[in-house]
Amino acid sequence: MIIKVSNLVKNYGDLRALDHLSLEIKEGEISGLLGPNGSGKSTAINCILSLLEYDSGEIEVFGKPMSPDAYSIKKDIGIVMQNVAVFQELTVYENIDYFCGLYVGDKNRRKNLVMEAIDFVGLEDFTKFYPKKLSGGLLRRLNIACGIAHKPRLIILDEPTVAVDPQSRNRILEGIVELNRQGATIVYTSHYMEEVERICTRITILDKGKPIATGTKEELKDMISISEKITVETSAITPEQLAKINTLECIASAQYKDDLLVVISEKGKNNITEVLNFLHSEEIAYDKVITELPTLNDVFIELTGKELRD
Amino acid sequence: MFKHIFINRLKVLLRNKEVIFWTLVFPIALATFFNLSLSNMATVESFELIPIAIVENDEYDKNFSFQTAMTDVSQGEDPLFHTTLTTEEEAIKLLEDSKIDGYIILNPSVELIVKESGINQNIIKSFSDTYMQLTSSANYILSSNPRVAQDFYNSLTEWKTYTKETPLTSSEPNNLLSYFYVLIAMSCFYGSTFGNNEIMYIQANLSTLAARINIAPVHKLKIFFASMTASVLIHFAELLILLVYLVFVLNIDFGTKTGLVLLSTFIGSITGISFGAFISAFSKKDENTKTGILIGITMLCSFLAGMMYQNMKYIIARNVPLLSYLNPVNLLTDAFYSLYYYDTLKRYTLNMALLILFIAIFWAATYKLIRRRKYASI
Repeated sequence: MIIKVSNLVKNYGDLRALDHLSLEIKEGEISGLLGPNGSGKSTAINCILSLLEYDSGEIEVFGKPMSPDAYSIKKDIGIVMQNVAVFQELTVYENIDYFCGLYVGDKNRRKNLVMEAIDFVGLEDFTKFYPKKLSGGLLRRLNIACGIAHKPRLIILDEPTVAVDPQSRNRILEGIVELNRQGATIVYTSHYMEEVERICTRITILDKGKPIATGTKEELKDMISISEKITVETSAITPEQLAKINTLECIASAQYKDDLLVVISEKGKNNITEVLNFLHSEEIAYDKVITELPTLNDVFIELTGKELRD
Repeated sequence: MFKHIFINRLKVLLRNKEVIFWTLVFPIALATFFNLSLSNMATVESFELIPIAIVENDEYDKNFSFQTAMTDVSQGEDPLFHTTLTTEEEAIKLLEDSKIDGYIILNPSVELIVKESGINQNIIKSFSDTYMQLTSSANYILSSNPRVAQDFYNSLTEWKTYTKETPLTSSEPNNLLSYFYVLIAMSCFYGSTFGNNEIMYIQANLSTLAARINIAPVHKLKIFFASMTASVLIHFAELLILLVYLVFVLNIDFGTKTGLVLLSTFIGSITGISFGAFISAFSKKDENTKTGILIGITMLCSFLAGMMYQNMKYIIARNVPLLSYLNPVNLLTDAFYSLYYYDTLKRYTLNMALLILFIAIFWAATYKLIRRRKYASI
């Protein structure tokens, strides 16, 4: 086990930020911590890194208790903070070299590692640039390079794509998968469910400091009752017809608004056929039909009764 | 590791334009400004001849002793008056137009006419009174005992003094120097911005950068000491540049104890940096607010040490003497002046001892505040 958190409790005054959080992260995983802002993701990470005091619970990293002076553990951890944490007065190269130098004393080895990190994040053309001259996306890449240059076994990325353009975001996500392929265990926190769904092999959903579900994305989606959302563009549904749709066997709920019929179907086969057969039998004309599988947001809604981005 | 952190910290600090401005450019600019304005003040304070008029009439033409006395005080090595010989009407007009401070008319006694009272008028009056006293004494002695005339004339040129002036120092007292000494002391305390930076960069609850550094497998005090060494080195180098500028460009006299002047500057630099570190560790405000607080406190201490109004230093020393000893800027200013003015080191040693005590207090308090490794919130 790379990280083992047991019954972690952290209070900020009267506010309970982590409520008996337990978490296990295995070697080789890309483990996602998903939750809305304020759900306790960053607090959990800061406790794991021994930056924050906590009220109770235990944290082990690489099988050993984590503490501020556990340098043998820290040397194998890389961290990419939510906010960019680099020196404005050092160039791209110097920043990466500085942070790498806190882990790697040998100058020649460090030079190679720094160049590898620069190649990895695609900053070859910007090595002599100061951070203020970089765009938001490039700055995020520099932030990542500073955290991974020493080739850690465990990389913790705390919302690394906040305020990043889609192109840089793709590159960052691909890079994280590549780091994992090279052998690093990844802990990835985000409130962007699409990102977590795309790269994480195991996901823990947090709400109010509590883990409400853990598993692969498929396992999480299996936990909920709905199987798909069917959207039909039509302008000819009467209230009586909508009421009939709601009585169909496979339907969990149906709504009609702004010429869109939105049907949430329960688990089962041929749900779309059932809906379309009904439209044919009622001679209702329709244009497009779109079907969507449930998302992690649907999982979150069903488990908590609110949107992930609330 | 120490070298790696130290060298990178040097780069960071030397490229921080804001810090370099406050700790090097601003003091040099202020010193230049002081020099310009204080040299004007020195000019203003130099003695100017007092313009007077003598009415040329028959009594004046007959009175050779008065003419000789006027020649003595209007010409010679250290003239006192700028004298105009004129008519009474013209003298009245000159006085009305404030072109002279007064005029003398022999009638036959010496009469002084002035328009207002003041230092110059007092000097003219003092001269005319002395002249009248001496002529009166001379006339009396010559008429009553002509045999002692020679002794009397000799006594006029042989002044005896019955008190002895014992200077405390070989240096000339120079109040204007203290403006520059307080400027150096202020510059030492602008080093507090360095101390502030070092704390911001090591306390995980104050900046994201510090949080990242705290996660590294290096003891944070090791990083702190390497960074502080870089700060002290840069700040002391800046102060040396300032000293060189003051001594060789502005010709400010620091006396002959060069080694102790450098030691005082070094101690001042460490006191300033330690002060900044303490305030930064104590307060959880953002970096800019802390910089504002530090500059504000430094300016207040400099004001109380006499930077804007020289007498303030003496007002504080007279009315609230304890404050003089609690103001480190004042202690440092006084140390520089002691080195310049006094031949003994008693007063200087006291100032230095108090500054070292301040350093010890700042360091102890800072260590207590930053030694924790985990934080309640970030």
